Amino acid sequence: MFNYLLRRIYLLSITAFILTLLAFTIEHWTVHTQIDDNTFSHYFSYLNSIIKGDFGVSIIDNQPIFNTGLVAFSSTLELCFFAFIIAIIIGMPLGIFAGLDRNNGVDYTIMTIALIGLALPVFWVAIIFTILPHALGITLPIDGNISPIYEIPVVTGLLLIDSLLVTERYQLDAFLNHLTHLILPSTVLALFLTSEIIRLTRHAITMVMKSNYIKAAHTKGLTRWQIVYRHVLKNALPPIIHQIRLQLSTIISFAMAIEIVFSYQGAGMWLFASIHQGDYLVLSAALLIISGFILISSIIIDFILVLISPSKRKSLYADQ
Amino acid sequence: MALLDIRNLSIDIITAQGKIRVIDKANLNIIDGSIHGLVGESGSGKSLIAKAILGLHNENWIVTADRMFLGNIDLSKLSSRARRKIMGTEIAIIFQNPRSYLDPSKKIFDQIREVLPKKSHHKRFFSKVVPKLRASEQQIIKELLHKVGVQNDQAVVQSYPYELSEGICQKVMIAMAIANNPRLLIADEPTTSMEAVTQAQIFRLLYKLNQLHNMTILLLSNNFGSISNLSDYISLIYCGQIVESGSYKQIVNSPMHPYTQAMIKTIIEFDDGVDHKGQLYTLPGSIPPANQLPIGCRLGPRCPKAQRTCVSNPEAVNYKGHIIRCHFPQLDDKKDANTPHNK
Amino acid sequence: MLINNEFNEQKIQSPLRYIWLIFKSKNIAVVAMWAIITLLMVTLFTPYIMPYSPTLQHPDMLLLPPYWAEGANPAHLLGTDDLGRDTLSRLLKGIQLTLAGALSITLVISMLGLLIGATAALTQGVKASIMHHLLDALLTIPTILTALILIVLFGMSYENSLLAISLSLLPQFIRGIYISIENELNKQHIIALRLDGARNLRLLRFGIFPNILEPLVTLLTRIFTMAILEITTLGFLGFGANANEIELGALISKSLELVYLSPYLVLFPGVAIFLIIIVFNVFAEGVRHAIIEGEE
Repeated sequence: MFNYLLRRIYLLSITAFILTLLAFTIEHWTVHTQIDDNTFSHYFSYLNSIIKGDFGVSIIDNQPIFNTGLVAFSSTLELCFFAFIIAIIIGMPLGIFAGLDRNNGVDYTIMTIALIGLALPVFWVAIIFTILPHALGITLPIDGNISPIYEIPVVTGLLLIDSLLVTERYQLDAFLNHLTHLILPSTVLALFLTSEIIRLTRHAITMVMKSNYIKAAHTKGLTRWQIVYRHVLKNALPPIIHQIRLQLSTIISFAMAIEIVFSYQGAGMWLFASIHQGDYLVLSAALLIISGFILISSIIIDFILVLISPSKRKSLYADQ
Repeated sequence: MALLDIRNLSIDIITAQGKIRVIDKANLNIIDGSIHGLVGESGSGKSLIAKAILGLHNENWIVTADRMFLGNIDLSKLSSRARRKIMGTEIAIIFQNPRSYLDPSKKIFDQIREVLPKKSHHKRFFSKVVPKLRASEQQIIKELLHKVGVQNDQAVVQSYPYELSEGICQKVMIAMAIANNPRLLIADEPTTSMEAVTQAQIFRLLYKLNQLHNMTILLLSNNFGSISNLSDYISLIYCGQIVESGSYKQIVNSPMHPYTQAMIKTIIEFDDGVDHKGQLYTLPGSIPPANQLPIGCRLGPRCPKAQRTCVSNPEAVNYKGHIIRCHFPQLDDKKDANTPHNK
Repeated sequence: MLINNEFNEQKIQSPLRYIWLIFKSKNIAVVAMWAIITLLMVTLFTPYIMPYSPTLQHPDMLLLPPYWAEGANPAHLLGTDDLGRDTLSRLLKGIQLTLAGALSITLVISMLGLLIGATAALTQGVKASIMHHLLDALLTIPTILTALILIVLFGMSYENSLLAISLSLLPQFIRGIYISIENELNKQHIIALRLDGARNLRLLRFGIFPNILEPLVTLLTRIFTMAILEITTLGFLGFGANANEIELGALISKSLELVYLSPYLVLFPGVAIFLIIIVFNVFAEGVRHAIIEGEE
């Protein structure tokens, strides 16, 4: 297990090295700094400042880019997190139903829903959703993270927690206000995510249902739901998690597009605004922040996979 | 007395090219307390019959039978709930490639525990909390594993299937199959791709179960030689038709169907002295695919004794419990001198 | 007995024919196929089908609703925009640009991806490992970010946005191809082919390629879907097509301020994107099922 950890970290460091190279190149290309004598020493000084968390200062508001980026990206993560919870609550059961009863009415209905969810362009749905409160006559905020009347100091960067920290001033109002701002954007993202999760779950469940040990479970005289509960779910979960891991960057990419429509102050909006104002330093910073997050989380997910699926543990010794 | 009585079992599979009949009017009569061997080449439909008996078939199969009784239970009219009840307690099955039939993400202990005689819900819940109940389960599992010849039961119950050899996995499968003392055990080529020693162990185990616990066993195999000594009754199946069926004596000593004779000739007997570089006996040709069957007798094109009548399908004939499906059976009085078992 | 009442010859259909036979029996997929053919025809012959030039302004007819709504003019089937330009013509032009872009991206990616993926799978050692880590690194960058970076580097234009999208989707495709080839390489029939002395090219053509058709179709659909979504997203954000190029995403963003006055202007391009993706996905699903059934 320890060896596995070391090996993963070693692989991670190579990937991270490539990413810093990319970021370095991008920064020099966009900002057009002169690389006069020694590219190496330039790179190392760049690396040095990155490790210290110094990505330079924004030309727009003279704030350190790294901090602004982290705060913005944590807002994106909040959005993804909520969408994810909605998607799992809706998508998993639907995917399981579809996978268990393949090729009948239920399956076709669920797969049609999933296909529609995939085919709807997210930014367009987001626009429709911004009109929705107006059309239906409900009051839901459609722009920003939180009403500007609340002044919330940045402590952790996660607005959900920060707004809870100011309860003595606003009670729970700030927190609830932030939640209502999250509803529409996360629903839009959840629409896409749900269809992905339905697709993945259905595929995984069908694969497991075809396998021999499910046949054997039938001969044991177990009921259908006993089989699903005891044998199917545990074996179907690892491939689903694995696939979601591969899709992390797509999910974040969609989240960024949605933010721009809702003017939700996340990484997407930050990038969009900065690029429009000619602040290209944010590109390499965003690259390192987002990719770094995806790298670390994929390693964590790998670990969870090894922990929950014993057959993975075997391959871990085999492919060394 | 017949434990399993099947009359005119037919299985059709629906494919893109239309319906294909893969089992054609098979009759199977298994006597209580016997070992019944079902022998046929791979692809001849042995496993299909086993799956039809268990009701494990897919949706695109059409299974029809005039009679399909296990004791006094009509298998063809069972609801899925009633079928679940008899699974494990009346019929159990073991498969080839046993490892793939064990759940890869669960320890052997949990998998065996699943098949132990059903308990009420609250007991199952308490067994997780109260160590005493768990201990009694452990005792039962230990006895089961010892019964099938697994010595180091402690290590085995704590392992995952991928950590065990195929032989041990098959023994675990057998342990799970016999946990509820079923009346019929179906063994679907239980020893394919195993070492000879393990094969012998498994066969000995099955024989012991039959002798000591009076368990009826339907033994499916593609190797006539390996199971013929074990079986009390033997049926041979060729291309979805049962061509000959009878007791061990009848089949081995006086085979009537040319296919059976060919099968018996394929058993190499070294004491008879096989000629150096002599050809081993086989039928010419190969088994036809299920959608390209010849008309009439299905063995027709490969049969050494085929005549003009063989283009029509022969009916099954019963000679004192010895059933054959052939126009020109080799009757006792005019035995072929070449048959090695005609003493 | 259905088949053996006459003498049968041993007929083995070619796999492609067999797949086609199964595909033909799937009604929805065949409908989708015809829809795709229609779409392609529309794309090819847009200039001849368009009722008006997409930039022609009718100052007397501003913001007309589509023909079924109140106050419509039958001369403009889907109405007009705030400058009096015909919506249908603009929509057709937009479909042409977007679809052509997505198809060319898919084509380029499939060629390059197959080439690189196969090379990565069939080579070992340092080369493969460098390729691997580079892919790993590229895969962690969200596609929109890649596209933004490339657009900033090379300047804003529709062609550059296409290039950016291709580059950002390429790693996903290569990874998919690589994994399916790798899975195939471990199988017995490949070892047999190798023992027969087959070179890599022959191995790919006869041993691997026929067996990865199904994942290939899935991957291509995925890439195509993503390409459409990304093109329109970038167009919407204003990083793709410039002012005088009409693209579905850009169409939406330009009519955004009119959304309360004439919601149709936002609705139609979105529905068009939706239908394009649905049609291609249904078709691909049909093909995939036919391949799977054919293999069984």
